[in-house]
Amino acid sequence: MNHILEVKDLSVVYESNGFTALQAVDHVSFVLEAGEFVGLVGESGSGKSTLGFAITRLQKPPARTNGGQILFRGKDIRELDVESLRQQRQGGFAMVLQSGMNALNPVRTIRNHFIDIFRAHGHVEKSRWDARQIELIEKVGLSKEALARFPGELSGGMRQRVSIALALSLEPQLMVFDEPTTALDVLVQQAIMTTIKSLQKSEGFTAVLISHDLGVVLESTQRVLVMHEGRIVEDASSAEILQNPQDEYTRMLLSHYADPRAEVVELPGFTERASRDGAGAGKASGTTAAGTTASREGRSADSAIVVDQVSMVYPPPRRGESAITAVDDVSFTLEPGESLALVGASGSGKSTIAKLITGIEKPTSGTVKFGSLDVARLGRGQIRELHRNVQMIFQDPYSALNPLHTVEYTLTRPVVNFGGLRGPQARRRVLELLETVGLAPVEQFAAKLPHQLSGGQRQRVVIARALASNPQVLIADEPVSMLDVSLRAGVLALLEELREQWGVSMLYITHDLLSARLVTENIMVLNGGRVVERGNTAQVLQHPEDDYTIRLLDAVPNPARAWGAAV
Amino acid sequence: MTTTQNVTKSTEKAMRPPRRLAFITRLAATLWANWKSRLGLIILACFIFVAIFAPLLAPYGASQDGFERNADASAAHWFGTTAAGEDVLSQLIYGSQISVSVGFIAGLLSTIVAIVIGLSWGYIRGFGADVINFIVNLFLVIPGLPLMIVIAAYLQNGGLVMIVAVIVITGWAWGARVLRAQTQTLRSRDFVTAARFSGEPAWRIVFKEILPNMTSIIAGGFFGAATSAILAEAGLEFLGLGDSSIVSWGTILYWAQNSNALLTGQWILLFAPGLCIALLALSLTLINFGVDAISNPRLREGKSR
Repeated sequence: MNHILEVKDLSVVYESNGFTALQAVDHVSFVLEAGEFVGLVGESGSGKSTLGFAITRLQKPPARTNGGQILFRGKDIRELDVESLRQQRQGGFAMVLQSGMNALNPVRTIRNHFIDIFRAHGHVEKSRWDARQIELIEKVGLSKEALARFPGELSGGMRQRVSIALALSLEPQLMVFDEPTTALDVLVQQAIMTTIKSLQKSEGFTAVLISHDLGVVLESTQRVLVMHEGRIVEDASSAEILQNPQDEYTRMLLSHYADPRAEVVELPGFTERASRDGAGAGKASGTTAAGTTASREGRSADSAIVVDQVSMVYPPPRRGESAITAVDDVSFTLEPGESLALVGASGSGKSTIAKLITGIEKPTSGTVKFGSLDVARLGRGQIRELHRNVQMIFQDPYSALNPLHTVEYTLTRPVVNFGGLRGPQARRRVLELLETVGLAPVEQFAAKLPHQLSGGQRQRVVIARALASNPQVLIADEPVSMLDVSLRAGVLALLEELREQWGVSMLYITHDLLSARLVTENIMVLNGGRVVERGNTAQVLQHPEDDYTIRLLDAVPNPARAWGAAV
Repeated sequence: MTTTQNVTKSTEKAMRPPRRLAFITRLAATLWANWKSRLGLIILACFIFVAIFAPLLAPYGASQDGFERNADASAAHWFGTTAAGEDVLSQLIYGSQISVSVGFIAGLLSTIVAIVIGLSWGYIRGFGADVINFIVNLFLVIPGLPLMIVIAAYLQNGGLVMIVAVIVITGWAWGARVLRAQTQTLRSRDFVTAARFSGEPAWRIVFKEILPNMTSIIAGGFFGAATSAILAEAGLEFLGLGDSSIVSWGTILYWAQNSNALLTGQWILLFAPGLCIALLALSLTLINFGVDAISNPRLREGKSR
């Protein structure tokens, strides 16, 4: 057996003044064989990144290892002094960070970044610097012209490739990738993962891939460690995890993956999403106001949003560059009670469309109408009228709530501003809203501050706030992309239920085709500001016609597909 | 799993925790945990104690004269007497009242001006912002001390009110600029956009959503402003631009300079008030180190392993 890294009983604790200590990693033991590609999966707060930082000795206070051993080639790296730690970064272990694209110095060229490393370690002769740089940069799939560029001149994906090349330049035996693709666009994500996979094969280093996305990990690694609350709950080969997961938690994670192309798509909380051809719209308007939300008194959406030949051109970012066309001649109608998915990779203009509809930005040409309101030409009072009817659910529940206000205050404001309710009446309405989004016991949740809530609970508060004005239209901008996989289904089910009960129409903006399949009837695929494909969601996803839609579909991580051939 | 969660019988007590209070206690605890700000708090507490209980602590009245003139330190007069025959120790003790109160009042007022201007400047866009920008830049480029002297000379003998006014007029611009920058970063956060979607008027967004998120920067700005107010007050008094009949550290220095205290060997007349001013300013600066630790938690964590 050729152990490269042996972690025995490792514990890492976060300690800072005035706060109770947090045991982030709790007696973890595992072994890495040389040349293995291992995935480390867990949801946020599971301690996976802390573990990654600990095994490369990059952790910073307040994190502190408080027990156990990390044996790298038989030597405990916790004992290393600063200088020998620095020396062994060459030919030892390296890490590629989640924000690796921001880890480059903006005022130095890529070439200088390589030279810094060669200087610090002296492992490449000066005469070979150029050749080695070119070799490395080509290994990660960039051309040698990139060497002369500044980080700001490269895209996010290219910068992440550069930081992988920089890590490679030290010829490490062990590479730790900490969510290397999380901040990137879906299509770029897939390309980078392909590069990492082929590099690992050709260079033969041992790799650890840390990710929250079990799909991505299962597609690329041979063995998977599943972490939950600081402990490793499962350690098995990828095929085994997929076919025969032992731990409850792993099974729960796996249950949240499905193929958006399938005939029937099922997730926990969602069943029978087989065909929603046409019947969906009827269902939405037919069965409104059932259940607990009688307070709405049947007021369902009666105005459509009509977007007519809208274009949005932003002025060029620098002189000499051409103007940016974010939205190019897009027309569509969001009928009352309809739910429409707006799908595309980042930069496809989908968020710009949301801004145009909500009156935050004004289109360069074309018109946006909500009922009789011309959204592009609204005065101050009319904007208010628009927001009474068109509300937004934000992408990031962590920044969409003011950290200093209680849930009650946050919800009271729209109730007071739009409903005109005061005092106990307003409070009753707030509690009603909390009940609607499933935050019970309502009294307790009303008194909480955002930091006392989980991501999923926060997003429910954000949804409750959007509902406070009894809107006719909800614009949901990637409402689940920041949430852990296990929380997503709950929030999506809530959106779906509210839409059917309240009869609101919804514009669901996303890059995630699986969630689009679950909550929408119709879909529009955007590429470069243009609509490339539109139609019934199930039909489009099952029989995509446009090239771009097919590529987006292929980029959806799907463990079952990856191992389908091998099984 | 959505609306059907059974409502557990929660304790129906009013569950509102006193969070304002909790916030202040945590703030105080963080300040106390930092040795620098702890030292600053102790020094400041001493000065405030002396200022409040000056009539009890001082052996004689503030301007009680008739003692031997220019006397050296003795058992009766620990720090000696002035050229007018007043007890220096008593003057120092009474003088702390002026320095502490002027420092805090002027610091508070200029912080308030800075908040109002800085926040609205950061929130609005377009022509209005340009106008404010012009005015603030005007105040920033005019050198502070000469402006102070000119204004003070113009408002002849207005006493303490005049001094406070001069300090506020010359002291708010920098704070406004810092707060504007912070407002601009906060205004692009989602919760501010969300407040607009909730139909909130602009002033409410600025003062209820944005302002509470800058508490530590404002606290830091306040201590900074108070420090420079104390120094400016003493400076103006020393130059004889204030009301020279009141007893403050600045006027002690002014009279000591007038009677050539250094030449007559009474260095303590200059040294004692100078040290008091320096210590008071130092205490506020030290407290600011602690305030820094609140706004930047990284400073709280100690050195790397």
